[in-house]
Amino acid sequence: MLQVGSVLQGRYRITGVIGVGGMGSVYQARDLRFPNVVRYVAVKEMLNLTTDQGMREMTLRTFERESDMLASLSHPAIPGIYDYFPSKTRAYLVMEYINGRDLDAILSASNERLPVSLVQQWAVELCDVLGYLHAQEPEPIIFRDVKPSNIMIDQHGRLRLVDFGIAKIFQQGQKGTMIGTEGYSAPEQYRGEANPASDVYGIGATLHHLLTGRDPRLEPPFTFADRPIREVNPDVPPEFEAVVMKALSFDPADRYPNAGAMKEALLQIVGPAPVAGAQPAAAHVDESAIWDTASSGVAALWRFCCEDEVRSSPVVHRGVVYVGAYDNNLYALNAADGTFRWKYPTSEGISSSPAVADAENLVLFGSLDQLLYAVDTRLGQLSWTVATHGAVQSSPAIAHGHVFFGSDDGNLYAVRLATGRVQWKWPGGVPIRSRPLVAGEMIVVGLESGDVVGIDLAGQMIWRFKAKRAVVSSPAERDGLVFFGSMDWHVYALDLARGWKVWSFRTNKPVVSSPAIGEDKLFIGSVDGSLYALDLSSGKEKWHFETAGQITSSPVYSEGAVYFGGIDGKVYSVEAKSGRLRWSYETGGPIPSSPALYEGVVYIGSMDHCIYALKA
Amino acid sequence: MNFLRRVFGLTDASRSADDEGIQITQEFEAETRPEEPVIEAPHDGATPVAPNGGAGTGADADTDPLLEESLGMMIGTRPLPHLESVMLRPGQRLTFGQLSDIGMVRTNNQDAILSVHVSSASTDDLPEFGLFIVADGMGGHHDGEKAASITTRIVTQHVMGEIFMTMLEQKMDDPDRPAITEVLREALQRANRAVSEQIPEGGTTATLATVIGDLAYIAHVGDSRAYQITDEGIEQITRDHSLVQRLIELDQLTPEEAAEHPQRNVLYRAIGQNETLDVDAITRRLPPRSRLLLCSDGLWNLVPEETIREISARHSSPQEVCERLVKLANERGGPDNISVIVIQAPG
Repeated sequence: MLQVGSVLQGRYRITGVIGVGGMGSVYQARDLRFPNVVRYVAVKEMLNLTTDQGMREMTLRTFERESDMLASLSHPAIPGIYDYFPSKTRAYLVMEYINGRDLDAILSASNERLPVSLVQQWAVELCDVLGYLHAQEPEPIIFRDVKPSNIMIDQHGRLRLVDFGIAKIFQQGQKGTMIGTEGYSAPEQYRGEANPASDVYGIGATLHHLLTGRDPRLEPPFTFADRPIREVNPDVPPEFEAVVMKALSFDPADRYPNAGAMKEALLQIVGPAPVAGAQPAAAHVDESAIWDTASSGVAALWRFCCEDEVRSSPVVHRGVVYVGAYDNNLYALNAADGTFRWKYPTSEGISSSPAVADAENLVLFGSLDQLLYAVDTRLGQLSWTVATHGAVQSSPAIAHGHVFFGSDDGNLYAVRLATGRVQWKWPGGVPIRSRPLVAGEMIVVGLESGDVVGIDLAGQMIWRFKAKRAVVSSPAERDGLVFFGSMDWHVYALDLARGWKVWSFRTNKPVVSSPAIGEDKLFIGSVDGSLYALDLSSGKEKWHFETAGQITSSPVYSEGAVYFGGIDGKVYSVEAKSGRLRWSYETGGPIPSSPALYEGVVYIGSMDHCIYALKA
Repeated sequence: MNFLRRVFGLTDASRSADDEGIQITQEFEAETRPEEPVIEAPHDGATPVAPNGGAGTGADADTDPLLEESLGMMIGTRPLPHLESVMLRPGQRLTFGQLSDIGMVRTNNQDAILSVHVSSASTDDLPEFGLFIVADGMGGHHDGEKAASITTRIVTQHVMGEIFMTMLEQKMDDPDRPAITEVLREALQRANRAVSEQIPEGGTTATLATVIGDLAYIAHVGDSRAYQITDEGIEQITRDHSLVQRLIELDQLTPEEAAEHPQRNVLYRAIGQNETLDVDAITRRLPPRSRLLLCSDGLWNLVPEETIREISARHSSPQEVCERLVKLANERGGPDNISVIVIQAPG
């Protein structure tokens, strides 16, 4: 390293060190040819460390070529090149000294967010200079390393581009595991490809950092889309965000082809100064476009209306839809066309959902009249009933030749399907309204007290978990874990064998909805209006989809899509992978009912008294 | 000492608790298999039995200091002699093997591994418990190995305190206790704070598995890996936090290109890197006789997963599997430290 005071070429006296890098240093030096004024220059030193003779010469030639190229450029944001002199082991480049600070330093020095209008101005200047490079003939010049530390703001407030990456020529592959990535480079650059669109990505990454204050070097690479700018910084106009996000597309073809095109896009939004409170035109159009296709994307195949609200969720079995209604009836409809097969009247409304026991040809359902009914699926004739001492709002579960259900009388019942005889009842002490889960030899059910219990097949309690509020959500099981929601706003995952808490996830309102499982995700609705997709094994949120009302309906997963109803009256289908809306269908009333899927058709009830069949 | 004998089973079956002897075993009567599911009507007058609460009023609170002290004694991190730790026949209960090797090129071992296994038989019906950690340190001046060993210690302290002790206190069903995956995340976050403070220039990966009964809870940061090996095949269940892995996910690189990529060693997430640490948590059920394999990149860079599966299938002893895998990695050059833990589910 050069000492302060040493003189290069009899002309440049080193006065300080600007930066130190692995491949050489940058010095501040005084030009002694101007003895009467203090004229500073920047001297960049690059070590040519390659031991191989041929390689060393090649490195030098590349360096000379790059220096020539740089010296021929003329743009106010590009520092002037005055001189260069190579030697065997190192090369020096003498250039304009810029008095200012780089954006990296500005970012780390500012605790507050940078003014959006300032960033917008820098964005235009940055695109201007890179656009100039991209417009060079015969070949565009690609900067390759757009990042805050290569961009300076000089004492006049102008943006200057520094460090033309020449040092990179001298770099050799580094060894050993390292932490931290470059953060700003486009994906294709790691494959050794670079084009003007790669610089566009670097501009986008730099602007994203400036606007959000989130350093991409500390985040997983290429995850800018996971950190929406306006979520962190609502001052950013949606149009500006849209330009930055387009620049950050993974696929170069989806970005602006070069910085000049990006500058044009920025000027479109910068031109008329953004008015506070003005409608974000571009984003608005996009959204309505989605909604247009959504509302027209699906049509009802049929609907069947009864005399009161349908809160019960349908089941479809062998081409027949079974669903209960508040008009006291259980209906059996032909799935294909919605035509009526039979109905069975109870004495009060039916809020629970039926279950079908295939071998016994029985459909089982509870009624608010305190009975559990077993009705023959073929003719709609009663086989047997079980009398409890409270409304039966729990939906029955069928397993091991038995039906399991809870009652408001506080008991969980196990009833033999063949005879209708009660084998045992487990006293919970408080109403049981969730559908029991039978997983192997364990029965799991939620109570109004917030307790969730694991009971063995002999009716003995094995474990008890206490949520803070009632559990009406019906548990679901996968690979030894059991999942459910609670009125205490949480979604829980427990160890099925022991009831120990594996993870919990907090929503913003009570959770009434029961979970569905698909693609290693758990889907569940919350009264806060969102449908959540959580990672099954860690409880981490993957995405959420917001509706205009509460979600009490339980989602259903089928072939890459999730279906559910909203209290806003709509039936929704969203992509399981991304949470993007596939379609929605508006009914005439709120939908607490959960859908059933059967042969590509969604069946769901609405409080407008109707049952709908929609194409999935 | 009688108490320790009971809890930790310092009997012949477990050999002595030497510096690495974290094989903790308790022998009582042979376990009887539960009978086939029967749904019976209760006899007249039979009252439902309230579970957890009644049973197991064993020595609890007053013995904690003893427990902690003895655990402290037994939890060492390095050096790691080749273990012949598995005394029990595979099949009866969880068994494991572990090996950490310097490799053929490096002059120091920056990996750290640690295993804890507790097994019991009593009316308390404690599930089998295991904690296994692989950490691969990075940084010069012994910073890497320090970061790795600190991490194994802090993680063990936290998990044993928050999960194992809580199991002994029979308070795992306390709803106000943090969830199991939260405990594991917090354990790695504590390690992150400790490494950041004590070894500012060092960092480490960490992949840990806590086994409770037939469930494995895995927490992970960096590019060490966990694989699950069953009769059906082998599956990598952790995701490398590496630049090349992200590029593969974005279809910018093929796995073959990634193996040759000049930046294949660049991690974007590791312990000691940043104030905040995002930890991956994964829960897996362990089918009977299936295996869980934790390893540092010294193994997986040289031995493809299909070969790992074959070697695992060929050897019934988990320790044997570890030794064969390390030997093979060394035969292929052993450019990096190699650490492997193989856990076999009972069955």
